[in-house]
Amino acid sequence: MNLMADILLNVTVAFFVGSILLGLQRKVMARIQMRPGPPIIQHMLHTLKFFIKETVFPRTAAMPFYVAITIILCAIWVAAVIIGPVTHGPLLLLFAIFAIHKIVEHNAGSSSGSPYGKLSCVRAVFSAAAELPLFAVLIIVFIQTGTMDLNGIIAYQAEHGALLFTLPLTAMIFIVLIISKSYYYSPLNITLARDIVSGFETEHFGTLRGFIMISEAIAWYMLLWIFLTVFLGALTPIEYLIAMVILTAIVGLINAVTPILNPNHSVMTEVTLAFIGIVGSLLMIFFL
Amino acid sequence: MDLSTLGGQFLGTIPLGDIVLYLTTFNLFMFGAALVFTAIIAMSRTESQVEAEFGTLNEREKKVSKDEFKIRRFLSIVCGLATAGAMITGDLFNFTLFVCLIGIVNIGIVAAVKEVDVLDSAFQYGIIAMIATLPLFGGAASILATTGTISLLELVNIPTSAFMLFSSILLFIGVAGESGVAPFFATKAEMFRTAGSPFLVIIHLSSLLVIVRIIEILLIINKPFGI
Repeated sequence: MNLMADILLNVTVAFFVGSILLGLQRKVMARIQMRPGPPIIQHMLHTLKFFIKETVFPRTAAMPFYVAITIILCAIWVAAVIIGPVTHGPLLLLFAIFAIHKIVEHNAGSSSGSPYGKLSCVRAVFSAAAELPLFAVLIIVFIQTGTMDLNGIIAYQAEHGALLFTLPLTAMIFIVLIISKSYYYSPLNITLARDIVSGFETEHFGTLRGFIMISEAIAWYMLLWIFLTVFLGALTPIEYLIAMVILTAIVGLINAVTPILNPNHSVMTEVTLAFIGIVGSLLMIFFL
Repeated sequence: MDLSTLGGQFLGTIPLGDIVLYLTTFNLFMFGAALVFTAIIAMSRTESQVEAEFGTLNEREKKVSKDEFKIRRFLSIVCGLATAGAMITGDLFNFTLFVCLIGIVNIGIVAAVKEVDVLDSAFQYGIIAMIATLPLFGGAASILATTGTISLLELVNIPTSAFMLFSSILLFIGVAGESGVAPFFATKAEMFRTAGSPFLVIIHLSSLLVIVRIIEILLIINKPFGI
């Protein structure tokens, strides 16, 4: 297939599937809490709605940074789709995108001048320690497979079996990461906790919010895609879809039944689980 | 081990005196990201913080003064360029110099503000950054003493020894201290409470990008199972 067509197709799929999955997560949470909940296409409808709403800019905003940051957010996730599903590029690059996402999250909040955005920004810095699991996963997978190339990791799993069974504790670290980056009422996502309204998104309206919501959908799709590719290997599109639905439902269940932790508890929980996962995985690699 | 195993397609080198820059997809992306952020910061105004006053119906607006704005913008651009340099340098010593420069300008970016908590945080971060220079340069010097080179293009072909592993640990401690990430992040988070969003982004950006790059460098120096 033509590269441009391939990119366009994959980005569109990532947006639609990601949107539906985020809607599904809210539906699962609602049903657990005995509510009917919104339709599963709600996230997509919201995204499209924001593009026809008036865009207003706060008087206090840092221009043009305030606008550019939302476009950068969208651009990095489109780049992630190109590096991941389209070209099967290096895993290190995908993790660099997660790092840049953290920075964008930080500054989308502080560039508006809103105190809620500012608090979200400070929390984004504070939760940088929670990126530890991200790098731990990266290094452990490299030690086990000897490559960071996604094609190499897929080939390794075709020969030796899924990494989910060889490195279950590393997969556990990644699941913690997925929970910490889930959007609706995650116990670990302190930058979007409801005590600071909508965190870094609070003061972005209209088209700018639309860009943020597109990025959220693609980011969620990519997070699940990376987990499935790194720990289960090459799957067919239907298998990817089924696995993504299951993972999203599990995350919805966890988010529905757990309280939102305060920043200190959230960071310490993630760091502790990462420590257990890292030590356990290394022991398994070297002694089993 | 091949550099493309870590960073994707090897695109070539730029021999610039002793600073041999090399480009893989990974390095180029990080370099580009650092430059894009630096360009946006250079042309942005700062935000102003509006806060409600306790006990009255008034509000308080915090702004960055023109003089403060100029010096902070200059230091942010220096920090952005140092980060971009750290992303593509193929020389370990230059990498440590860039990281050290990032640490210095990070303190400078918030040193002009007049908030006690922020200055206190910058002071504490400064102490850690200063202490971290010892393991940072010590790690790079130990690798030079062990292998006879600090070129990453050469190091990638040299088998790992126990002392190289020890030197890498020193290097990592140095970078963690200089960039103020875990477990030193607590000293740095308070620095972000001040106004001046475009300048603060570069503090966070430099830390995270440098950490991602050091992982690549550590894996170049230490080749697990002789990959």
